[in-house]
Amino acid sequence: MSATEEKTAKDPQIVGFACSFCTFKASEMAGSLRMKYPDGVKLVQVPCSSRVDPAFVIKSIFEGADAVFVAGCHPGDCHFIKGNYFTRRKIAALKEMFDAFSMKEKLRLFWVSAAEARRFVEKVRAMYDEIKEASHADAGKKD
Amino acid sequence: MKTGIFICHCGHNIKHTVDVGKLRDYFGRFPNVVVSSDYPFVCSEPGQDMIRESIEKEGLDRVVIASCTPSLHDELFKDLVRKASLNPHLLRRVGIREHCSWVGDDISRNTEKAIRLIKAGLYAAAHYVPLEEKQVEVVKSALIVGGGVSGLSAALFLSNMGIQVYLVEKEPVLGGRVRMLRDIWPVRKDGEAVIAPMEAALRARDNVEIFTSASLVGFEGAFGNYRATLRGLSGERGITVGGCIVAIGSAPFDATIKPELGYGRDERIMTTVDFEEKAGRLPLPPKPRVAILHCVGSRDEQIGRPYCSRICCINALRVAESLKERYKDSYVESFYMDVRAHPRGGEEFFEDTQAKGVLFTRCSVAEIIPGRDGLSVRGEDTLLGEPFERKFDLAVLSVGISPPPDGPAVSSLMKIALDKDRFFLEAHVKLRPYDTAVKGIFIAGACSGPKDMEEAINHGRASAVKLFGFLSAGFATVDPYVAVVDGKRCSGCRMCEKACVAKAIKYDEAARVVHVEEAACMGCGLCNSTCPSSSISLRGYGDSAIDDEIAALVEAI
Repeated sequence: MSATEEKTAKDPQIVGFACSFCTFKASEMAGSLRMKYPDGVKLVQVPCSSRVDPAFVIKSIFEGADAVFVAGCHPGDCHFIKGNYFTRRKIAALKEMFDAFSMKEKLRLFWVSAAEARRFVEKVRAMYDEIKEASHADAGKKD
Repeated sequence: MKTGIFICHCGHNIKHTVDVGKLRDYFGRFPNVVVSSDYPFVCSEPGQDMIRESIEKEGLDRVVIASCTPSLHDELFKDLVRKASLNPHLLRRVGIREHCSWVGDDISRNTEKAIRLIKAGLYAAAHYVPLEEKQVEVVKSALIVGGGVSGLSAALFLSNMGIQVYLVEKEPVLGGRVRMLRDIWPVRKDGEAVIAPMEAALRARDNVEIFTSASLVGFEGAFGNYRATLRGLSGERGITVGGCIVAIGSAPFDATIKPELGYGRDERIMTTVDFEEKAGRLPLPPKPRVAILHCVGSRDEQIGRPYCSRICCINALRVAESLKERYKDSYVESFYMDVRAHPRGGEEFFEDTQAKGVLFTRCSVAEIIPGRDGLSVRGEDTLLGEPFERKFDLAVLSVGISPPPDGPAVSSLMKIALDKDRFFLEAHVKLRPYDTAVKGIFIAGACSGPKDMEEAINHGRASAVKLFGFLSAGFATVDPYVAVVDGKRCSGCRMCEKACVAKAIKYDEAARVVHVEEAACMGCGLCNSTCPSSSISLRGYGDSAIDDEIAALVEAI
């Protein structure tokens, strides 16, 4: 057991893109209900998840984010009728690219409706924990 | 650029877990920030005055308000900025309460997060441009979906105020659930007597059109000019309305979902709804033994109904009382978890029923077994902590309220959200209980959660008043957040045209570029993220603004 192994994992920084009509609303509700989630998770409000340009995701990683999530309304519930179907296709393609660079786990897509504050918190907490866990494991490997 | 940053304490809500003084000092050092101040409540009158004076005195051209979530007090702050003769689209709101102080406990971490969030707002605001708000005329008419007591109250108010009302009811008659009620507590009237005068008043008006046996099949447009399609017995009909009230009510809980109670397998087991109809002609012996079960389909996590239905305790008491009145020597036992006789006078009614000889047993009922000599009710007495089994001639299940069966259909037509229990979701549970997230669409009555008659009427009237406020202004401002094309950059690949859901993008054959028809644009930004050459951009959410926002969230501070 070396001292480096006891070194605590870095607190991940996660950038999330949240659509105004569902996920952002859920995050507001999560706040009103005083649900707790890590401060490493920060949201960018977009009108619709389809506004998220794959370039934004890459930009976040370039800037130093440990992971990125894109979240919108459940399929079929899009305020803009079918924006989230476009998001789903785009993110799936982007994920394949991320996979080619062995960083598939850095990108996530999920659906959270305006009523699902609890689901929002569960999703971001789980993601945060897994990213943290992974970085911890990596830190151990290097030494 | 002269930016003003105003940080709200929100009493203790933000101040307790975010070091607002540190935020103020941190942003005060930024080159483009002219004013950086904190205030206990920026939404209060003195707080608003402070912001307005700063804008006017310092000649601010960007304002960043870090307070509650952006959707709260949105109009208030926009108006404030407008009054200070600054374009309201140069204002940026940053949520440091719902997204920071309320979701984390550690002051130093929260303060750091708040710095990043405000910085993101500050960077994005630098890219904002003044936008012109177009005004469109509002059609002074309203669509009311659902002709129950709540929808009728709303229709009455709106037609009184001179608004053209279209009332749509799925059933052949108006009145919804209330029409079926007998001897309503505490007014001692039949539902029919409540509905009939309302219906008569509406039918006498010439600005009310009632569609029965009809349903909503199409809905599009924006506040002020919604186009709805109604399908009735005489075919389809399109109408244009300024706003809409959804009052589609609820459904009684389907007791067959709890098979252990034997409902539907024996006619001696009935619900309060059946009892309403059959009360006068029950095949009971002269000294009947009757069991009444509370909370059937309420407060039951296992069947997905964790909420209290609010009306069923009173309904159970009504059943008990009417049995005691009809059969003096009856044995009536109520099996309850808690008696929540919440409306005014409910507690006295409960006491009264006890005084009349109704027995109350706190227990959880496990099952009802029909036999030749009666119904066996088995369960556990939760006060004594021991099991029991007793024989009865009749069991009445006090069923709760289930969400409206048409909820999902209406929700997806109108793009309004349902909550986790499948009732309609209000915009804010305390501050905006009548609004939905969509402007001009309101909810009323039991479709937004269990309500008794009084509450449903109040809810309907309140929604009508709110809608009237919107309609009477006569105009609506259209969101200027639409896509714009940079013609010089556009290569004419027409990718955006294919993607656009609203069909707002048109190709110009001569110039070989596309352009956006602003009136049709919904402002989703899909074209912006589809364009390979970044030549189409969504106002207010441009690439550069979001890029800088991302940078601010993760860069070193």
